[in-house]
Amino acid sequence: MPKGYLAIVLHAHLPFIRHPEHEDFLEEDWLFEAITETYIPLIKVFDGLVKDGVDFRLTISISPTLMSMFMDEHLQDKYIRHINKLIELSWKEIDRTRWEPSFLKLAHMYHNGFLECRRVFVDEYKKDLNNAFKHFQDLGKIEVITCGATHGYFPLMEVERPASVRAQVKVAADLYRKVYGKTPLGMWLPECGYNPGDEEALKEEGIKYFFVDTHGILFGTPRPRFGVFSPYLCKNGVAVLGRDMETSKAVWSAVEGYPGDYNYREFYRDIGFDLDYEYVKPYINPDGVRINTGIKYYKITGAGNHKEPYNPEAARDTAAYHAGNFMFNREKQVEFLQGRMGDRAPILVSPYDAELYGHWWYEGPQWLDFLIRKIRYDQETVALATPGDYLKLYKKYQILAPAYSSWGWKGYSEVWLEGSNDWVYRHVHKMTERMVEAANTYKNANGLLRRALNQMARELLLAQSSDWAFIMKTGSHVPYAQERLREHAEHFNELYEEVKEDELDEAYIKECEDKYNIFPEIDYLVYSS
Amino acid sequence: MTKGASLKMRERKQFRFPPGYGDNKIVSMARDPWWIFAYWEIRHDKEEDIVRSIKGDGDVPAKSILRVYDVTDVNFNGKNAHSYFDIDLKGPANSWYINVGSPDRSWIVDIGVVTKKGNFYLLARSNTAKTPRYGMSDKLDAEWMMPEEDYWKMFGLSGGFGIGKGSLEVREAFKKRLEEQISSAQVSSGASFYRKAQERKFWLVVNTELIVYGATEPDAKLTVQGKEIKLRQDGTFTLRFALPDGRQVIPVEAVSSDGTDRRKIAPIVTRKTE
Repeated sequence: MPKGYLAIVLHAHLPFIRHPEHEDFLEEDWLFEAITETYIPLIKVFDGLVKDGVDFRLTISISPTLMSMFMDEHLQDKYIRHINKLIELSWKEIDRTRWEPSFLKLAHMYHNGFLECRRVFVDEYKKDLNNAFKHFQDLGKIEVITCGATHGYFPLMEVERPASVRAQVKVAADLYRKVYGKTPLGMWLPECGYNPGDEEALKEEGIKYFFVDTHGILFGTPRPRFGVFSPYLCKNGVAVLGRDMETSKAVWSAVEGYPGDYNYREFYRDIGFDLDYEYVKPYINPDGVRINTGIKYYKITGAGNHKEPYNPEAARDTAAYHAGNFMFNREKQVEFLQGRMGDRAPILVSPYDAELYGHWWYEGPQWLDFLIRKIRYDQETVALATPGDYLKLYKKYQILAPAYSSWGWKGYSEVWLEGSNDWVYRHVHKMTERMVEAANTYKNANGLLRRALNQMARELLLAQSSDWAFIMKTGSHVPYAQERLREHAEHFNELYEEVKEDELDEAYIKECEDKYNIFPEIDYLVYSS
Repeated sequence: MTKGASLKMRERKQFRFPPGYGDNKIVSMARDPWWIFAYWEIRHDKEEDIVRSIKGDGDVPAKSILRVYDVTDVNFNGKNAHSYFDIDLKGPANSWYINVGSPDRSWIVDIGVVTKKGNFYLLARSNTAKTPRYGMSDKLDAEWMMPEEDYWKMFGLSGGFGIGKGSLEVREAFKKRLEEQISSAQVSSGASFYRKAQERKFWLVVNTELIVYGATEPDAKLTVQGKEIKLRQDGTFTLRFALPDGRQVIPVEAVSSDGTDRRKIAPIVTRKTE
């Protein structure tokens, strides 16, 4: 029996961005970059572990918007075009770097990596990465959980709160059931944002657990007996787990965190920005804006601007060292906690944005690979577990009412409610109010009316994505986020008027449906009260 | 609303929010343990009604205010709040951040007009917003008891900091740590793809590349430094190399398709950086 458990949770999410009306669309690249740099590298790590017979347990939350984009044929085809262009560019790079051995080696590395991405994407998983995650879930290696339907931030759903939260949860759970063939065990609350009472919607869908940030547990009522090192049960029986700060810090923090090591790859030196404009032009945005290509030749090297060529072997050694260090610290942490937990083994919950691994921290997937293998073979103190596994260990857990909290800056809602984005809520709240009103008015809608109401629900959900407020706060891609909000509000309000005045315009409804085709099986009655 | 207007037509202009909803209401939301946010929309006719009734009462409107009530555990009827405070509204505000300063309390915000005589006339009343609990609970669970000291140890081990400190100190320590963590590199959810590129200070980078180009018979076999090169249909070729410091000998060799003819040209290039 291990003395404690480590629950690594990777939260994968991107907002629903799909623009068939444009051949190239800058923000669509986020998905393609994440597929190449994060999702496929993680899938390859899992695949390698399975092939080597290494047992492991990880939890992965896949947001319903991401799940939907994985399934979307239009985006699948665009990804293939995207990876083909990278294969072509990296091939040119092999020529161009011929007299610079340290770069030539990297050009080959990228070229082979891109070829491999195309093979995994097209041949192995038939263009839909849900197939990959489902495969590893079916093998018992990962626990795929869901997230709010469009990553809406629950604590600020102040108007029609129960219906609003219920729709985010139910639409997510329904999609999960359709794609993964069972009810999701757990849910990652978007931004870890929890408002007391949200657990009711989870229970209705049969979801067994969710996560909050550290202070959601520590400031819970009554006093938590086990800190964040045990799940607790909300009054309604849904379990809640709190983030462990120490493990978070090891990876997240720029000062103490692993990803800042000088041997690791430098994110900010990309050939999309570094090379001659005419040469990279076919591979950047068609409007001529330089973007990241993913081909990066330098290591972090040091604090200054001077950068040296990336050395994959040295980086790999560093990742192995960091994995060992992380494991050692977990052993110590578990041993230290053991005596303070009564007869229970502590669980350390370590959630991370999946996109940190590979995209930002290039060596992240390697680190995870080393960590899993070391945990399996080099010690016996700590074992990997999912929250679902751990909850089976004991019959009783303390009852706790968690506190309002999020994992955003300062721990509450300030990121999504500040000068740059607070004007959003009056519109989104009004849409919610109108949605509930319409759903209560038309209980048995059919035909065109039903389609209009369902599309209203889609537009509302998309407007609720926490990403738009977040983008406005961070200050890059702001016009896009603002435009999306305006667009969803306009679609929604136009449809609402048409419904109310009984003047349905099929062409308009169809155009909205075609453009924002997420959740094809949505039922607007989720909003009726 | 325009009927039958297609999306495509509308794509020529920007999408729009409605200028207003014709509502007369105020909504409050908790931002964190110490602040709430309120936004409102007030109808002109309601405002005029109020002014009329103020004048009817022989009084004069003095200012618009927000009245913020602490209604914790109270079924609020307008008069039974624990306490309240007023905020003077200046200018055309339609939202406000309100420093209530107390975690774990419930708040209702009225918007209205205060008269010269000091009477308050209500325009709209908000929902109840509850600020989050902050600090370790005083409520103990009989089933899961342990000595006070142990709770604090657990709190500290969990990252709660400030073992044995008062709640204010804990709050400061907690806040500071969160700030450190997040401002350093804490990418809180979804952030990854929207982060701005790092800004660099004054800098200069100079690189050199060499373009080698030429032409031969379209069906000839061509090698550059021994590596076979694919010709364009018209027999031309272009190669682009990053050119490091040093001397490069670049033998270019063409062999006719039947293998009988052979031409070799070998440019030599030297780069030296000072």
